[in-house]
Amino acid sequence: MNCAICHAGSARETPQSTPVIYAGMPSNTVDLEGFERFIFACASDQRFNAPRVMAEIEAIGGRYDFINRFLLRFYAIPFMRERLLMLKSHFRFAEWEPDAGTGRTDTFNPAKTLLEFPLEKLETRELVGLCDFPSIWMQGLRKQKNLHAHWDGNNSLMEERNKSASFGTGAFPPTIDLKQLARVEQWLLTKEPPKYPFPIDTQLGTQGEKLYAQYCANCHGRNGRDFSGEYVGDVVPIDKIGTDRHRLDSYTEELAVAQNNLYAGYPCRFSHFRKTFGYANLPLDGIWLRAPYLHNGSVPTVRDLLNSSAERPPVFYRGYDVFDQVKVGFVSDVTRFDDEGRSKDEPENPRKYFRFDTQVKPGGATPRDRNEGNSNAGHEGWEYGTMLSDQEKDAIVEYLKTF
Amino acid sequence: MSLQPKTKRILWVSAIVLVVLIALGAWFTLTKFFREEKEVFANEDEHFKYGSLGAEGDRGIPYYLWLVLPRVFPDLMPGPGGYKSLGVVWEEGHEIPVGFSKKVVGFARITNNCAVCHTATYRLREDEVPHVVVAGPAHTNNVQSMLRFLFKAAHDPRFNSDIIMNEIRLVSANNYGNGGLSFIDRQIYHYLLIPFTQKALLQQEKQFTWMERFVTGGKPKPHWAPGRDDAMNLTKYFMTSMPEDDTFGPTDFPSIWNLGIRSGKDNAGKQMLLNWTGDTPAVRSVLIDSALGLGAPARPWFLQRMADLDNYLSNLPPPPWPFGETNPINQQMAGEGQKIYTHDCAACHEPRAEFTNKVIPVTEIKTDPERMYSWSKDAAAEANRRVKQLGIDRPPMVETQNPYGYVSPPLDGIWLRAPYLHNGSVPSLRDLLNPSNERPQTFHRGYDVFDPVKVGFKEPQPRPSGPSGELTQPYFLFDTREKGNGNQGHTYGTQLSNEDKEKLLEYLKTL
Repeated sequence: MNCAICHAGSARETPQSTPVIYAGMPSNTVDLEGFERFIFACASDQRFNAPRVMAEIEAIGGRYDFINRFLLRFYAIPFMRERLLMLKSHFRFAEWEPDAGTGRTDTFNPAKTLLEFPLEKLETRELVGLCDFPSIWMQGLRKQKNLHAHWDGNNSLMEERNKSASFGTGAFPPTIDLKQLARVEQWLLTKEPPKYPFPIDTQLGTQGEKLYAQYCANCHGRNGRDFSGEYVGDVVPIDKIGTDRHRLDSYTEELAVAQNNLYAGYPCRFSHFRKTFGYANLPLDGIWLRAPYLHNGSVPTVRDLLNSSAERPPVFYRGYDVFDQVKVGFVSDVTRFDDEGRSKDEPENPRKYFRFDTQVKPGGATPRDRNEGNSNAGHEGWEYGTMLSDQEKDAIVEYLKTF
Repeated sequence: MSLQPKTKRILWVSAIVLVVLIALGAWFTLTKFFREEKEVFANEDEHFKYGSLGAEGDRGIPYYLWLVLPRVFPDLMPGPGGYKSLGVVWEEGHEIPVGFSKKVVGFARITNNCAVCHTATYRLREDEVPHVVVAGPAHTNNVQSMLRFLFKAAHDPRFNSDIIMNEIRLVSANNYGNGGLSFIDRQIYHYLLIPFTQKALLQQEKQFTWMERFVTGGKPKPHWAPGRDDAMNLTKYFMTSMPEDDTFGPTDFPSIWNLGIRSGKDNAGKQMLLNWTGDTPAVRSVLIDSALGLGAPARPWFLQRMADLDNYLSNLPPPPWPFGETNPINQQMAGEGQKIYTHDCAACHEPRAEFTNKVIPVTEIKTDPERMYSWSKDAAAEANRRVKQLGIDRPPMVETQNPYGYVSPPLDGIWLRAPYLHNGSVPSLRDLLNPSNERPQTFHRGYDVFDPVKVGFKEPQPRPSGPSGELTQPYFLFDTREKGNGNQGHTYGTQLSNEDKEKLLEYLKTL
């Protein structure tokens, strides 16, 4: 895998149009956890043995010479199985937190397990670390302003954040291809988010621009290309921002200091990880493609985010890539999907989309049973624009399309 | 007999080849095992926290081995987080905790320095990164568990080169010229450093058998607890060959800032004493003896470092009360409290006063006596002899009489020196002003959230852990009923009215 597994997504205008793939956008359709579960299940299955796998490879036309056949048979396949089973055991924390679903992952519990933290001894509150994939374009402006990366702003050095993310693809200090990573890094510095491809009501947008300047710009930057603003990049204390705190709590002081041992013995040893106590104010470049919103992806559209949490959809669907030009986000409303999660607008599409439930279930034994970490609360109140009139909110949404 | 010219030539060539090989071998050995890299620090605070005392030869753990030990043996650690779970102070961005030094002597080695026991942390809320105060007591650090971890690991069948190298290779290996452990270095680790370190740890463990000794009655000695050690037994068994005994002298780590006011003669010209039972008359001697205990060899470099530390710590001011914004000191109350202090406390606690830094007989102070029993004039005499043999000239430890009481120290920065008394048996200053039967019988040590009202560290709540949310208490339960942990004595001030106690407390915050 490479960066694009989590950072390339797609959007289409109608169910009939061909999806457009956008590099650098959050992978809105990818169920990374589903993929993990699938290969872990494969590794645990009795059919994952060298003769059987070799036979299947040959059945679909795979041909190997004697040496390669020998290597596959006695090394590669058994070794792969062993490694997968090891990873499966490492990733047992996924069974304690709600399903990630499409477009999300747990960022820092994998780091804990790979550093051999005894998972059963972790505090319960740090077990849910699910968060939305971010967009990764326009890194140059972020680097210039020294914006802290990650939802909780726990790292200030772009190159370090990138190497840290590379662990997720399995690239370890002795194996990582630093040249290729540097090349991607370089490209991302100036990579622009795609322009909004649908019509924009400029008059409404102009009205929204004023409201945006008044309500949003101090924390989110003047516009999609100018990240100046008094509080841009600052970490807002959790009690103030009020969003779901699980992702924040999943990152601990213990992990921060342990991560500073990563790349030990290399010139680029990590030294920028820190524990924070809130979530960071991010610039909104290309925000139209970054749905669903908030760090845990609990609010499906920009328009919903401008409502108070009581009015935000308690349940919606993730992973469908038809764009909603009115609310700005993807079509996600429960009325557009059947009970199994299939799109009603596309009867011939067999895919089941991910039903995202923001509500906590009382009484369960584990955070997973209680569905913790998916709350859509917070980022609300007059400072956040949720008290504005519907027309004013529409105006802000219209303006954000220009980002 | 004369040799054929051809034989001669062969002999000459062989000799030259041999000399070259020996020279290469010597160069290799020198660079890989003995070459010292000079340490550079931004300032004295950093030097104190991360500087070496020169113990690499005796106690140095090869860096990469040290790094992966908690990953190979996570089950031998008290909790998640590697060394951090032992309560070490670890500043963000640093690759080693405070009190650890990483120095290259041939290869990078980890040793400890003064700061491992003498750097404090505090915070007002859990939602805050701890503040680090150099030379404060490391009340969170569980030193005994750290020792036991190393010894347990050394006994474990997983302590073998294959398993450990497997973990090291995940951390560091040569990445196409981008740094990392080279092939040769990995072989050195595999065949020399890992097995030798295991041997050295098992050897060192023998110096600690007294620690695991069962005292009379078949009970093990109590745990040192975070923020404490068995100070004079450590000294006794490192510096003398006295037979093992049943004594247990738990000692709260003291603050070591402002040593100047504890040094020399008092106002009346009487010698002031250091260490909890007045075992040593001079700051320099305490520093030297403590550092020798950490494995430092006595060489000129070491004595210079001791002189520098003496100078640095003698002039290091104590930290002022930092909670001015949230919990400001009531100046009026403090002013009235000062009168109480002058009347009731100053004779023993004002710097260079009549009884300050003198031994108060235990018959008077009545605090737990066990710490006294762990030291003796015979031990002092033998330790003095040993240090002299090492060629170190330092004012000798007191060898005229056995310990008979406890030293009353100055109270500079007393707010950060909780828990209180020599054995750290009273969690807060407010509790210390209560009679001993009203002081907490049990409390937890190692938690660094500060209680600005009682002046001490707060009592931590148990927290849900693991997927099932079972309530667990990660901090150390301290029981004053155990041997050496008694919280009795020092009843001064306990008869004051509550109002006067509050005033006195307010004044103590200003020190």
